[in-house]
Amino acid sequence: MRMHWRDVSPGERKMANRPKDEILHDHNNDGIDRRGFLKCMAWAGTGAFCVMQGGVLKSYSMSRLSEMNPADMKGELSFVQISDSHMGFNKPANPDVAATLQAAVGKINALSTPPEFMLHTGDISHLSKPEEFDTVEQILKSASAKDVFYVPGEHDVLNDDGKQYHERFGKGAQPGGWYSFEKKGVHFVGLANVMNLKAGGLGTLGQDQLEWLEDDVKHLKSSTPIVVFAHIPLWTVYPEWGWGTEDSAQALAYLKKFGSVTVLNGHIHQIMQKVEGNVTFHTACSTAFPQPKPGEAPSPGPMKVPAEQLRSVLGITDVNYVQGKHALAVVDSTLA
Amino acid sequence: MRRSVFVASLLVTAVMGLGGMVAEHKSFVASAQEKQASSAEVKIDNFSFGPVAITVAVGTTVTWINRDDIPHTVVSTDKVFKSKVLDTDEKFSYTFTKAGEYPYFCSIHPKMTGKVVVQ
Repeated sequence: MRMHWRDVSPGERKMANRPKDEILHDHNNDGIDRRGFLKCMAWAGTGAFCVMQGGVLKSYSMSRLSEMNPADMKGELSFVQISDSHMGFNKPANPDVAATLQAAVGKINALSTPPEFMLHTGDISHLSKPEEFDTVEQILKSASAKDVFYVPGEHDVLNDDGKQYHERFGKGAQPGGWYSFEKKGVHFVGLANVMNLKAGGLGTLGQDQLEWLEDDVKHLKSSTPIVVFAHIPLWTVYPEWGWGTEDSAQALAYLKKFGSVTVLNGHIHQIMQKVEGNVTFHTACSTAFPQPKPGEAPSPGPMKVPAEQLRSVLGITDVNYVQGKHALAVVDSTLA
Repeated sequence: MRRSVFVASLLVTAVMGLGGMVAEHKSFVASAQEKQASSAEVKIDNFSFGPVAITVAVGTTVTWINRDDIPHTVVSTDKVFKSKVLDTDEKFSYTFTKAGEYPYFCSIHPKMTGKVVVQ
């Protein structure tokens, strides 16, 4: 919640106290302040709120949020992304994933702007067991946002090629689990990139899904903000660990015409962000356990941290859209 | 003379007896070895199969055991065999009755691959 000043370096503290919060370095003349964004990303671990408004990046430290003009923060549309609840996991990295999911719901319910709905970007269950899906649905019922839109993770489609997932969460979706919907003029696309994984491969969308996507967005005005959500990242984060989708370039090509595209993913259990042209990519924390940064461990397994630090590496993502603004404001916060 | 013949025949019998015992012993050892050779184990840990590639005789039962703290599956690339999801300490066995090469992977983490060569 609040930034702990003792955890912030003197340099960061100085930056956070600067009277002028806007960073204006527009070297490529495309309205994207990459250097500012990178600085902002460095703050993300200590709590920074980054907003792209009219193509200009503004960043504020989380501890100053109470001073901010609510109009800057609020939007016409507010929703939350949670991910990787892995209900059923019970190893040392987190022996009680139900408790941390409940804590995430507590965090959601404490947001000053109640979200209208939630996106769950997959790995809802750990072993695709019915009781695991039941528990997640039960816990999420106590969230202020009653509607939840899911996409499957690879842990949700074990043993039965996704049949159970589809019965529970795929109503209204295409047989392969992908679908789209509109909220307040924003077009949401849920993609499934965990089916039919090939040996040695990455995530995959497949020809059917790509053709559906092309058709789905074809007639939308280019000013329509687009939010794409899928489990495995749609950009290549780290191929050695399978952190990427082999045919996502084709999907992104269909979205090229849009002025604002936000891609929300999970799977890697850590926050990563990337801006490429009009597309902002964002991966969320897990509510269950963290995973190591690319290459910093022999394998991408559950990462054990001291028990008292666990909640500081799990989290939720709050997204706000203000009509007319260039992009959605994406804010991560941890459970601690 | 008779005594030496008697002793000789005793010796021969003994040797034959011993030889028979040795032969039986040999066949006992051989069958024990065959039983050992007809099973092999692959450990799954740290997002990898160990050993990555094994060579076994026709008729061998290979058992995969998951020692990782995350579930995995064992799926043949050519759809010859497919395990259900294996949580920590769960096993999957398959008996290879035909010679050939059997590449496989974990369908949850497709970067994990292995191979069984059956000769």
